[in-house]
Amino acid sequence: MSQRRSSPQGAKSKKARPTGWQIAMVGFFLFYMFVPILSTYVFSVATRWDRTILPEGYTLEFYQRAFSASYFASTLRNSLILSIATVLVSLLFIVPTAYWVHTRLPRAKPMLDVLMILPFGIPTVVLALALVQVYNFAPLARSPFLLIGAVVVYSMPFMYRPVSNAIQAIDTRVLTEAAQSLGANIFQVLKLIIIPNILTGILSGSLLVFATVFAEYTLTSLIVGARFKTFPLLLVEFTRINGNVAAAFSVISFTIAWLVSLLILWVGSKGQTTKTETVQAR
Amino acid sequence: MAYLELKNVNKSFAGVGAVKDFSLDIEKGCLVAFLGPSGCGKTTTLRMIAGFEQLDSGSILLDGSDIVPVPPNRRDIGMVFQAYALFPNMTVRENIAFGLKMKKTLKADLDRRVDEVLEMVRLKDTEKRYPHQLSGGQQQRIALARALAVQPRILLLDEPLSALDAEVRVALRGEIRRIQSELAITTVYVTHDQEEALSISDKVVVMNKGNIEQVGTPEEIYRAPRTRFVATFIGTANQFPGQVVGQNTVISNNLELYTCDLSGFAAGQSVVVLVRPENIQVQAEKSQPEHANHIAGVIETITFHGAITRLGVNVNGARVVADITVANTDPVCLNQKIWLTFPVDACQVMAVDE
Repeated sequence: MSQRRSSPQGAKSKKARPTGWQIAMVGFFLFYMFVPILSTYVFSVATRWDRTILPEGYTLEFYQRAFSASYFASTLRNSLILSIATVLVSLLFIVPTAYWVHTRLPRAKPMLDVLMILPFGIPTVVLALALVQVYNFAPLARSPFLLIGAVVVYSMPFMYRPVSNAIQAIDTRVLTEAAQSLGANIFQVLKLIIIPNILTGILSGSLLVFATVFAEYTLTSLIVGARFKTFPLLLVEFTRINGNVAAAFSVISFTIAWLVSLLILWVGSKGQTTKTETVQAR
Repeated sequence: MAYLELKNVNKSFAGVGAVKDFSLDIEKGCLVAFLGPSGCGKTTTLRMIAGFEQLDSGSILLDGSDIVPVPPNRRDIGMVFQAYALFPNMTVRENIAFGLKMKKTLKADLDRRVDEVLEMVRLKDTEKRYPHQLSGGQQQRIALARALAVQPRILLLDEPLSALDAEVRVALRGEIRRIQSELAITTVYVTHDQEEALSISDKVVVMNKGNIEQVGTPEEIYRAPRTRFVATFIGTANQFPGQVVGQNTVISNNLELYTCDLSGFAAGQSVVVLVRPENIQVQAEKSQPEHANHIAGVIETITFHGAITRLGVNVNGARVVADITVANTDPVCLNQKIWLTFPVDACQVMAVDE
């Protein structure tokens, strides 16, 4: 039943054909979204592309140069470390906090909501410079740890929103009390009841944070710079040397982000199969 | 000594008293209903027994020992919620097994116990389903089975039937009562539905504004309400406010009402006479009944309720309701002049507090 709820049969049988305007709108949107990406892909394999509509020839040379760049492996590794660490730290911070506020301290929820918009309001440059000034002592000063801390703050809304929505969709207070009355302590409640039921929110939050942090440039550049070079830093460096190689780096970056997204979605869908498989009409 | 004892329990939220000096003894194996309008403190009291709310003062003793310092997960108290609260990520069977797993029950014992309670709520065939695949009534029966699986010392039910439709509600309350008596488990049942409270419980605790108004068997509560609140909250009662004028007479709205002995009241004291609509007989002609009041009125409304028909009657400008059954009353029509008869012992007299 619940599968079909969103599409009543009456609406389905009278399916409206899209008008010319709608097609044009969608077409424009797709053009707007995909042309830059496609161009990057093509540019990364083009020999020369400034006198003709399509490139004059194709080559994989730039990929070879990208893969053999001296910092390629280390920057990729650093970016993965930064992204994964940020996802873990923000999970550790956000999930218990959001749960606690929703369940025990609903009055604090509006405050938390506002707090979670703040990172959008502060320019990253200001955030970076402020942090560098304040944490101007060892071992934090200009260290990867400071960077992780900064990126956690900056990407917090991306984790909080989906998690908060998922928590709101279930009655955490009653579920918690039910589990407690059956003898579960707070860790068992979180592990066995709350987390499995908000897993979709946790996964989409992780996905957003990963993708955001993997492409992060400003904070990294201003806080650690060359001390902890990440993939976007290398990419920007190459835009000054060779645009085609930079394009190849972009493509590699896209691909990694997409692979990770697919991986996370796959893990998420595995968690869900048991549910969807059994959804049948009563 | 009672099995569950609440002693001078107080609780307030933001300075407003939710439960005031609440003391109650509940015997082992009894089903006690907390009945009252919303905001009367019944759910708060239940949640304090469960451990989900802290007491401001007072104590709660279970089988002689104070449970107030014990956290909810170690109180060994089963609870059923209005919103079912089944775990959406678990099948029916996993839901029921949850408490047993928390107690680290051996696999064989666990399986046997889950089967037992599934049998008890007659839902063995749903064990592999998820909560969202069950009807509300089924979900609540599973929630009951889940609470009972761990063999708790007491069972708390927080408005368990409020989210269900009328037919399921009646069937399920019978089911709850059957299981409760079979297991002889001490049970506290919170409800705002008086019919539910009267039909299911051994004892009813009527609450209002954080206070206990009356504790008694359902019959006592209905037949001998001790306060005006109880009389009007439980069932319907006609109220005749007036003054005591004699040993067994009250003047109300220019009517002389004969009541039982009024020696406990002073002459001239303000009182209210309460008469249940089902105790009023309706006749088309004046008669001379003995030991009964006999007053004239005009029918203003006739409402059909199935088994009974409720008449709204204008008596000297005041409204009196009388319930009649078609079988033993003459046919009536609107604006008809009729005579209402009710025996002296159907009149309950209460002092007005002011």
